[in-house]
Amino acid sequence: MPLLARFASLWRDVFQRSRVDSDIDEEVRAYARMLAEEKERAGMGAEEARRAAAIEVGGVEQVKERVRDVRLGTFLGTVAADVRYGLRALPRNPGFAVAAVLALALGIGATAAIFSVVNAVLLRPLPYRDPDRLAVILHRRVDPVAPANFLDWKRQSTAFERMGAADNWVPNLTGGAQPESVQALRVTSDILPMLGVRPLAGRVFLPEEEEPGKEHEVVLSHRLWQRRYAGDPKIVGQAVLLNGEPYTVVGLMPRGFDFPPFWATGTELWVPDVVAPRAANRTGQSLRVFARLKRGATLDFARAEIAAITTRLEKQFPGSNRDVTVNSLKETVVGNVRPALLVLLAAVAFVLLISCANVAHMLLARAAARQREVAVRAALGAGRSRMIRQFLTESLVLALLGGAGGTLLALWGTNLLISLGPEHLPRIETVALDTRVLAFTLAISLLTGIAFGLAPALKASRRDLTESLREGERGATEGFQRSRLRNVLIASEFALALVLLAGAGLMIRSFAALESIDPGFDPRRVLTLTVSVAGTREADPSLRAGFYRQALERIRALPSVASASAINHLPLAGDIWGWSFTIQGRPTPAPGESPSAAYRVVLPGYFAAMGIPIRSGRDIAERDDLNAPGAVVINECLAKRHWPGEDPLGKWITFDDTDKIANPTWLTVVGVVKNTVQSDWAAAQEGKVYLPYLQHRRYLEKLDSHYSYLTLVVRTSLEPAALAPAVRRAVWSLDRSVTISQVQTMEQVVTQANARPRFYLLLLGTFAAVALILAAVGIYGVISYSVSRRRHEIGLRMALGAGERDVLRLVVRQGMRVALMGAGAGLAGALLLTRLMSTLLYGVGSTDPLTFSLVTLVLTAVALVASYIPARRATRIDPLVALRHD
Amino acid sequence: MEQPPAKLLQGTLDLLILKALTLSQLHGLGIARRIEQISGGTFQVKPGSLFPALHRIEQAGWLTSSWGESENGRRAKYYRLSKAGRRQLRIETEEWGRVSLAIASALRAT
Repeated sequence: MPLLARFASLWRDVFQRSRVDSDIDEEVRAYARMLAEEKERAGMGAEEARRAAAIEVGGVEQVKERVRDVRLGTFLGTVAADVRYGLRALPRNPGFAVAAVLALALGIGATAAIFSVVNAVLLRPLPYRDPDRLAVILHRRVDPVAPANFLDWKRQSTAFERMGAADNWVPNLTGGAQPESVQALRVTSDILPMLGVRPLAGRVFLPEEEEPGKEHEVVLSHRLWQRRYAGDPKIVGQAVLLNGEPYTVVGLMPRGFDFPPFWATGTELWVPDVVAPRAANRTGQSLRVFARLKRGATLDFARAEIAAITTRLEKQFPGSNRDVTVNSLKETVVGNVRPALLVLLAAVAFVLLISCANVAHMLLARAAARQREVAVRAALGAGRSRMIRQFLTESLVLALLGGAGGTLLALWGTNLLISLGPEHLPRIETVALDTRVLAFTLAISLLTGIAFGLAPALKASRRDLTESLREGERGATEGFQRSRLRNVLIASEFALALVLLAGAGLMIRSFAALESIDPGFDPRRVLTLTVSVAGTREADPSLRAGFYRQALERIRALPSVASASAINHLPLAGDIWGWSFTIQGRPTPAPGESPSAAYRVVLPGYFAAMGIPIRSGRDIAERDDLNAPGAVVINECLAKRHWPGEDPLGKWITFDDTDKIANPTWLTVVGVVKNTVQSDWAAAQEGKVYLPYLQHRRYLEKLDSHYSYLTLVVRTSLEPAALAPAVRRAVWSLDRSVTISQVQTMEQVVTQANARPRFYLLLLGTFAAVALILAAVGIYGVISYSVSRRRHEIGLRMALGAGERDVLRLVVRQGMRVALMGAGAGLAGALLLTRLMSTLLYGVGSTDPLTFSLVTLVLTAVALVASYIPARRATRIDPLVALRHD
Repeated sequence: MEQPPAKLLQGTLDLLILKALTLSQLHGLGIARRIEQISGGTFQVKPGSLFPALHRIEQAGWLTSSWGESENGRRAKYYRLSKAGRRQLRIETEEWGRVSLAIASALRAT
């Protein structure tokens, strides 16, 4: 048949079903009538002939059905009919339909939302050319590298097409509107070409721009260009002021370009990094090294090569090349969130499975009520496969409706996740419902439709015809088979819920352990803000200390301010700088083995402002300036490590290299303070030194931006956030050109430090709660249903003398048996599965017995309540009514 | 004793239907009776296989159908061979000849 005619026929078959149908119907009936007439002519009685003809035709409906199947070739037509039938059937039982669609929408929506995060963070490739070939070379996966090492690696390795390095930089951008401090990156000329992203306008850096004196060029991000220069294309070629020095704009990067994707995230401009003057430096570790693998070179090959190079260098320069790691850029960006996201995805899949199980037993209950319908259809000649197909289509209709609702929910949910998501969850800003997420949602909708529809369909279609027709819906006792399937469903709901509860319980315990960590300072009522003088008049060495001192004086004069001081790097915010030192009178340690300490520079009064107790000795004072002998305050950890059983006060240390400098600057330990948390909330304590700002030439004099800012710490007697405007005004009253950034209370800083665990806990806790509710609804539904089916039996028992307690026990026992079976299986599953989340836990084992017993108790209690309510109802059955009813 | 009706080989029903319609247009029962007649009663076609086959062949474009009136004044659907159907009948007849010859000689072989 010509294609057009075939389409026309298909069109008629699918969309003009009723006409085609009545056509076939008439044709077959005409056949039967003619057959009957033929038989009458052959001498049969009219009635007898009609019956014989009907038998020979064998059921008009079956014939029609087979013709239809033939006409469509596939089961397209019956699917359309089933979908229509399913849609028509839904409003007939609105309670069921709404409950099922809601449960599915909840499960599918939550799964789609979490998947959209997984998709954006883990699955989508990084936005660079051939991103799988990009690698990161660092110490211990995260720590920066010294310039001399980077240059040696670059020279000696063959595995890479390009290797480049980047330095963090936070300059003040002045000129034009209000000065602001911006996140920038110094990059060697290899970095931007390595990424393979073409600039929107202009160019990226040329190799000669790595030479000293030619580095005053800048490439702007799309965001900064829009925000600060209103997208003016003429900006290319013009100069902008960074720390007061002119930098020529040579290029603009396109929208969405973001580099680096970890560490100095949110970078808004790039300038050349001049490594040459530091080419011999093997101790100043500040560079992050990026490289692109050559075509054909594998990461393993690169690892082996770097290992060989660093072993050689380590022999030559001991202590300089230890623990060098080569990892893919992707792994470096997302490696530490992958376990958490996968745990969340698994958790949400469990929620989806529980809602599937719930809908499945709703369908089973409904199928029981539809026995008569099934029997009638079977009697009319519907085959078993046909019936399974119809039941499955009905479940798919439900699932797709649920999927549509779920998509809406996911739309809302992903927005919620992004707003809740911790800032430092990498790539969280790229979360969106893209085609992959939509395809995933469609796929899980179809899968869930089959998952919850198949068992009831198989069950419902396997009916003893005559039995059902005779008994109809009035079966006095339940078939054992059917109730077993339902019990398995409920038990698995409980098993899944227990695993989720155990996971959430562990997260709660872990979070409580995190919260109970003593930070070593008092974060309440403390306002912090970073003030940078880079590029301003105040950066002048003769003015700088005076500027900060005056600013603090003005702040202290504000009402409600109790104390104020400043530090170079706040705990939990910013880098830790480690420095090695020598203790006076101790033997010189082997190279690379000298003691080291995290390094902080503070103004007097810092410990009082932060609420860090001084254990012995004194605070750093105004008199500890360049004219006074060097002073240092150490933390308890350092005191215990290097002066165990001794009083460290009055001991001398130096940060100068005693091998090279004949007359090092010795610092006297003047005080010991309590340990505080460092860059990581839960990290082990490290040795730490606090040096007086007023004695520190680099901080007093260097013009580099990382020596030109301090974070002010202001302790108040009122709500600290409310004080921010006044503090700003106080600082700017001295000089309007300094920049103020990162204005936050110390409590916010602490909250951010635990943002990720809090986020995971929130999600996992929500999933566990939803799972608990669904499981409770499930067992409640099944027990209520079973009570209603067993009215007759219960009535009989009561008539025979069973008391209220006996009936209660009978019903509750049924529920509890199922719940406990499920909980047992869940306990076993949880013991296996919570192991996968051990990296997310702090201070609690992944098989913590207390957590496991508590969640089992909670679940059992919920099961008890959920089966007690229908059990109460069972005791109110009037035996007389129940028995007469039959 | 009468032999039981033979089972139709897959595909042969289509051929028989085409053959049955070479002389004139027929309705469903007419086709069944004609097949019975030309096969000497060997093949008895039941509606359960006749109608699906008719619709399949019609969709293939070898038959056309129209509603008409039967001998007894009943409304009935008549089928008639299309041009393509006649061509198809020729092709299938030749095919059948070849196949049956081949099978017969294969079965005779020792």
